[in-house]
Amino acid sequence: MRLPNENAIEIDNLVKKFGSLTAVNDVSLKIKKGEIFGLLGPNGAGKSTTINMLLGLLAPTSGAIRVNGINMLKEPEKAKGQIGIVTQETVVEPELTAEDNLMIFGRLYQIPKDELQKDIDFALKLSDLEGFRKAYAGTFSGGMKRRLETAKALMHAPQILLLDEPTTGLDIQNRSKIWDLLRKINKEENVTILMTTQYLEEADQLCSRIAIIDHGKLIALGTPSELRQRIGMSTILEVTADNDALPKIERIFRKVGLEPKVLTNKVLAPGGSKPVEKVEKLLKLLSASKIDVHNVSMHEPTIDDVFLKLTGSEVRDTAGSFTGGRGMMMGRGR
Amino acid sequence: MGLLNDTYTLFLRELLIFKKNFTVNIVRSMIFPIIFILLLGAFGSAPKNVPVALVNYDNGLASLQFVNLLQAGNSLRVVSSTTQQAAMSMLGVGNVAAVIVIPAGFSGSQLPKPDVYVYLDNSQPQSAAVVNQVVNQVSSEMGAQLASSAAADPVTDPVPVVSNYAYGAASNYESFVVGGLVIMVAAFGSVFSAGFSVISDRELGNLKAFLTTPINKFSILLSKIGYGTMQSLLSAYIGLAIGVVLGATIAAGFIGLLELIWIVGLVGLGFGSLSIALAARSKQLQTYALIGQTIVMPTAFLGGAFVPISLLPPVLQTVAVVNPLTYAVNAVRAVMIKGSLPIGDLVLDSAVLLAFAAVMVAIAFLLFRNTSEQLS
Repeated sequence: MRLPNENAIEIDNLVKKFGSLTAVNDVSLKIKKGEIFGLLGPNGAGKSTTINMLLGLLAPTSGAIRVNGINMLKEPEKAKGQIGIVTQETVVEPELTAEDNLMIFGRLYQIPKDELQKDIDFALKLSDLEGFRKAYAGTFSGGMKRRLETAKALMHAPQILLLDEPTTGLDIQNRSKIWDLLRKINKEENVTILMTTQYLEEADQLCSRIAIIDHGKLIALGTPSELRQRIGMSTILEVTADNDALPKIERIFRKVGLEPKVLTNKVLAPGGSKPVEKVEKLLKLLSASKIDVHNVSMHEPTIDDVFLKLTGSEVRDTAGSFTGGRGMMMGRGR
Repeated sequence: MGLLNDTYTLFLRELLIFKKNFTVNIVRSMIFPIIFILLLGAFGSAPKNVPVALVNYDNGLASLQFVNLLQAGNSLRVVSSTTQQAAMSMLGVGNVAAVIVIPAGFSGSQLPKPDVYVYLDNSQPQSAAVVNQVVNQVSSEMGAQLASSAAADPVTDPVPVVSNYAYGAASNYESFVVGGLVIMVAAFGSVFSAGFSVISDRELGNLKAFLTTPINKFSILLSKIGYGTMQSLLSAYIGLAIGVVLGATIAAGFIGLLELIWIVGLVGLGFGSLSIALAARSKQLQTYALIGQTIVMPTAFLGGAFVPISLLPPVLQTVAVVNPLTYAVNAVRAVMIKGSLPIGDLVLDSAVLLAFAAVMVAIAFLLFRNTSEQLS
């Protein structure tokens, strides 16, 4: 029996230099078949450069990329055929109908003529756009375009799906539709998914493993819970308020015996032992100080906190804002 | 096989997009020729029915004959005026382009005859030129008649001119203008389709999406060049059709139209490739549009599209020799006016245009080669 290659993507000692700038610095990763793998990092960390090399758009300075065992540098066309891609910008042709959009890409992905119509029908059904097959994509809403694009990427039944920030800019409803779709194809079709995201919550919920890269280097790799354990943090106490009130809040944190970190619009600190007592004290002091506090919360550490601890910077500085507590996310308005 | 198949797929995509915008595309291709032919046609041909005011202080037989001769062609429309003052005020407000005054004693027998005065509105140079020409012609005709009746000085006898046309076809300025116009719209057609679609596909992210599919990237380039050439042919033949409706003639007939597919196709191929080379290097659509205009317009004018090359200053005549559009315009004129494209002309024009197209395709390939690196 032939031993199946259990890795969908293998990246070995990947380096990409632009002049004197090293955008990707000796990154090695193995993404297993059937995984949903998240690649996280702030803007400029080397995420997009890595993805562009995986897409065959950029040639690495050194290192190797294998897709299902096929060398991307030696057989780029064959390797590209293994991957379905959803890019950061929604790419659909507004002047073509949903059906024609799919037809053109189906042909470019070399789907045989006699299977093309069947695959188009399948993709339209998958993206819930059966009623719009003759409608021009330019008339679609943002979510519909995104679904069409995702279906376009899946039409040639790739074993690997690569998504570059798939839900950036989408509202909560369309976001969860995309999540459901990704979970479904991962489970039912056993498609390996590699996604980049700026939304840590998304990675936390969807991904079986996460890699964090910063300044071109891989700085953490593991399951979400491993990463959470790794920073050894207990409950996080968080107070949000206007920025000019933050120094006062920071002093109050220290009075209570916490070691606060000040970020945009909020102050947070690991609760340590007896976090509830500390919250009580914190609330008393805050109400005595008459600071206009927007929200006080206590939560389990998230990937957000992991990221903050590892990189010293906040992902959301460059990403959309998460408002209204942990559970709700708002798309960034462009 | 793979390359051709992918090129066909991408060309099909351009056609589907073209189909969606069909009406807009056709109307856009029509506007330019219509305006150009009407405008330049009017400039180029001599004005007709130019209004002139006539003051006849003589009213004798000879003066009436003079007036009859003035009115004989339909070049002038003669308005009679009783006084020179009234006529001059008509000239002042622009109601007439000239005032012609026949002095008293014009019909008398004394020689030399008193001078006929002509006052011209030189703010209308074309009309003034027509009036001058007609008046001179009439006066020399009268002079000849007088010479045959009374023995006048033979030196002043005007030399009779017999005009011979080199080509059989009824040549007119419309045919001349349309010949140049067809080539200009062909060049514009490919520049504003091939290069434009490269830039808009880049902005929409389509180019990147194509490059991530398992295709040979040169199929993208080939499909765009093909699209540009198609648009060239379409624009040229729409221009030709409008030209014929507005009075141009095609002396070579149907065969000539077939010959033009080859010539216009080469123009489209060359300029389409040029536009892709430009698009590969232009970051913005505005920059691209500006450069595109700046190249096509002067190239067409210097190729003799609207003014014969023999009338250009010597320096520009030299430029015209190395201008590929000179040869394209020459070919179209041959078909429209001479009535056929002689083999010698066909070989020379084709060779120059082929060389031009080949160089441009090569440049487009070179500049398009590292597109994917630039996109990332």
